[in-house]
Amino acid sequence: MRLVRLLALLAAFQLGAAAARAQDSIKIGADLPMSGPNAEYGELFGAAANLAVEHANADKMLSKKLSIQFEDSQATPQQGVVAMNKLVNVEKVPFVLSAFTGVSKAIAPVGDRAKVVSVNGGGIGPDLAELGEYFWNVIPLVNLEIRVMAPYLVQERGFKKIALVYVDDPAGEAIQKELKDNVPKAGGQMVAELQVPRNAQQFTSIAAKVREAGPDLVFIASFGAQQAQIVKQLRDNGVSQQLASYSAFSSPTVTQLPEAKGALFPTQSVDWAAPGMSARVAKDWKAKTGKEPNAYVANYYNAVMVFVHLAQALEKKGQPITGENLLQQRKANGSFELVGGKMDFLPNGSVSMPIQINEIDGGAGKLVKGGTLAK
Amino acid sequence: MLLLQLLINGLQLGAIYALTAVGFSLIFGATKIFHVAHGAAFTIAAYLFWWTTAVKGWPWPLAAGLAVLAAVVFGLAMERFIYRPIQRHEGAFFTVFIAAFGVQIIVQNLIGTVFGRGFVSVTTPLSRSVEVLPGLFVAPVAALAIVLAVVGFTGLTIYLARTHWGMAMRALSENPDLIRVFGLDPGRVAQYAFAIGSAIVVPGAIFTAMTAGLNPAVGAHVMLISLAATIVGGIGSLRGAAYGGLLLGLAENLALWRLDPQWSEAVTFVVLFLFIIFRPAGFFGRPHAAK
Amino acid sequence: MWAYFINLAVLISINAILAVTLNFILGYAGIFSIAHALFFGVGAYTATFVAMKFGAGFLTATAAGMLLAALISLALALPALRVRGEYFVAASLGLQMLAVTIFTEWKSVTGGIGGLTNIPPARLFGFAVTQPEHFLLLSLLALGLIVLVIRALVRSSFGRSLKAIRDDETAAWAYGKNVAIIKTTAVVVSSALAAVAGSLYAFYLSFINVESFVLDTSIQLMAMVIIGGTATLLGPLIGTVLILLLPAALSYLPYLPVTEIGSIQQIVYGLAMVLLMIYRPGGLWGFQDAPPSSKSGTA
Repeated sequence: MRLVRLLALLAAFQLGAAAARAQDSIKIGADLPMSGPNAEYGELFGAAANLAVEHANADKMLSKKLSIQFEDSQATPQQGVVAMNKLVNVEKVPFVLSAFTGVSKAIAPVGDRAKVVSVNGGGIGPDLAELGEYFWNVIPLVNLEIRVMAPYLVQERGFKKIALVYVDDPAGEAIQKELKDNVPKAGGQMVAELQVPRNAQQFTSIAAKVREAGPDLVFIASFGAQQAQIVKQLRDNGVSQQLASYSAFSSPTVTQLPEAKGALFPTQSVDWAAPGMSARVAKDWKAKTGKEPNAYVANYYNAVMVFVHLAQALEKKGQPITGENLLQQRKANGSFELVGGKMDFLPNGSVSMPIQINEIDGGAGKLVKGGTLAK
Repeated sequence: MLLLQLLINGLQLGAIYALTAVGFSLIFGATKIFHVAHGAAFTIAAYLFWWTTAVKGWPWPLAAGLAVLAAVVFGLAMERFIYRPIQRHEGAFFTVFIAAFGVQIIVQNLIGTVFGRGFVSVTTPLSRSVEVLPGLFVAPVAALAIVLAVVGFTGLTIYLARTHWGMAMRALSENPDLIRVFGLDPGRVAQYAFAIGSAIVVPGAIFTAMTAGLNPAVGAHVMLISLAATIVGGIGSLRGAAYGGLLLGLAENLALWRLDPQWSEAVTFVVLFLFIIFRPAGFFGRPHAAK
Repeated sequence: MWAYFINLAVLISINAILAVTLNFILGYAGIFSIAHALFFGVGAYTATFVAMKFGAGFLTATAAGMLLAALISLALALPALRVRGEYFVAASLGLQMLAVTIFTEWKSVTGGIGGLTNIPPARLFGFAVTQPEHFLLLSLLALGLIVLVIRALVRSSFGRSLKAIRDDETAAWAYGKNVAIIKTTAVVVSSALAAVAGSLYAFYLSFINVESFVLDTSIQLMAMVIIGGTATLLGPLIGTVLILLLPAALSYLPYLPVTEIGSIQQIVYGLAMVLLMIYRPGGLWGFQDAPPSSKSGTA
């Protein structure tokens, strides 16, 4: 009898604690790589998201404090699913930040079944637009980037012969496909297409093959540590041609690399000097990290702000903040003023934003062509 | 010309693999310990070198010296605190393997926590290659790597053949008791093997920091190749490990002449597998390697 | 909360199948293979292929996986078992790395790194297993059956021959045991049963890609067996539970800095491996049979 009473007390205490926890803050989740070789992305995205949370709380945008529950995906699908399950079933968040194409594809069914919204701000594979109603993207997917880059490189800059070094994964392959389609259309020619495995670290011989092909420009489609290694080793081994890549080059690992100086890469159009949200984020980010913010910072800041705006609208209507309601609210009004300007959600949950082209100059990048919408 | 370039690249890479493989083979040959944490010595040395030169701005000889010291201390600590206690308990061969692997994981993550998980490298003009012939690029650091590998290996061979400790190391693998008979302590000989074997990875670590760059997983990769090289060359033969490393470095690069890049790593392991099936003793291994 | 536990339980039971089957060759036969994850992968990819291309049900898909895994394991066993232990590790290592490259490159079948998505739910006798609770029943049933099979084998004369071979191969051979056939059979059985885990995994996650079948996975499985306790039936189960629960347990500790949690998990895991190997090499549950020793192995 005493045992039963004790157990009942414990149960009540647990429920009470859970209820208390639920009362004092609004929680969203983040399924990002906190460890492993891609942890630098997790740190970057997490810090940007946290900045948004700070601003939201400072401005008292929601009725309660907002907080993020971070779980480690290690950038692998299996871990991502385990982390997602914890976020969905234990923390019961209505909204999760995601990254990496492979992880996103694995967690999308989980979110779909549980009616929890997942938002990607880093992965760019085009199949990320096909992951169901509850999977949204705040980053323009790579097909849009290439459709702007290819004509610029070939027609405006005159780089007719292009050699491609691309990583063996969906993002790399999507870029290869887009280049193969768009470069000839712009009047150029793909002289080499060299695919490298994801964990390759030696590129001296790839450099030799690139030299053999005699290109005007070398396009690199990789990410993380590998893309920096490719740049460095190409330069070390006699490849002096112009370099270009997709938005992954906005990672500090590359922008700070001396050998990457002069490389061209696209990102969403973000005018960090625009007064209001953009300038505030740029200022606070610089104060916190000592570095200039990049497009990834904008994306994950925006992802959180999308939640905040939608949640604000729901609170005004007196509706609970659930994944289902968030989706309905987004469908009703999918236009937001965010860092980088106005962002409109397309019906499939992805966004089309103007793309700008930057050049690496040792700092945050020099703008060489202002925002253009992909055709 | 592409073929010649690939050959040179293969030699450069092979030199690094050879050095690390020789270290592993020395340790395994002398002590019969499958020191899978050898890659961790590589990682530690490489990161310390990078940190002291690129971040702290120390002069190179000092940084290299620190790297050697760190690698040696690591090897000795592994022997003293991990392997010796295990072997005291009649440890199974593979108990050692798992323990070493555990250490590998710990080191990889500690390095990631302390130095960051991104890609780092030491910027130096030495890694920029020079066009020695039209279409043939060789970096000074590559030439240095090959020279150092040859020098290091020759030095080691002389040491093992001529000095007391060296001969004792060779004897240790055959017959530990005989060493005691001659008044030497097998434990001490093992320590020497670990110290030298770990120190010899440092040139490879430094070159990798300057050319390919580092991330915390770099040691694990080098370790795999060293293991393959040791087997291909023949367990118990240092010459074999060196040639094995060279062969694998060459294979990895020459494969690019005809195959797509994603198969170059597979080539290494196909070579390994074929050797094990058809010639388990490797190039120069002892006859009792197979059954 | 319940759903979270069910999810964890399913993953534990799938990994337990892998650990138990690995233990069969590692603990009982002394065959050290780092290629177990590849058979896991073969089972998963084959089952998926058969289910998606031909609409096969769970049993057919799993059987196809088992068959292919068995055939491939023959390729590993026949030549490699001629050599000594440490060489077999290296041969299995070579095969594992080769398999990863093939899994990554054979995109029409495996989807490469992008993997295969939208795998249809498992169909068993016309009933589609979509609820996690039902799936848990299925995977526990599979685990139970496999444990019974292994138990029966271990206690039979086949099992005794295996242990004899593990302890002293020359003596067993002198006693008239056909060492090669026995070892090969053990490898084939172990690999075929591992494929079952692959099939379960594919149907459960509805998504598979090569990242689940890499060298790290093989090493983790080996750790589960060795930490839990080799040559026992309960050991691998204990090892599986511990290793899989560790990250989950650590994530509940409140004072760990978020960015370092992953590293700390791995460090704890590594530390556990090291300490156990020093102080309790038989594994946590290993006091029945002594682990194989490199010296003349009598317990």
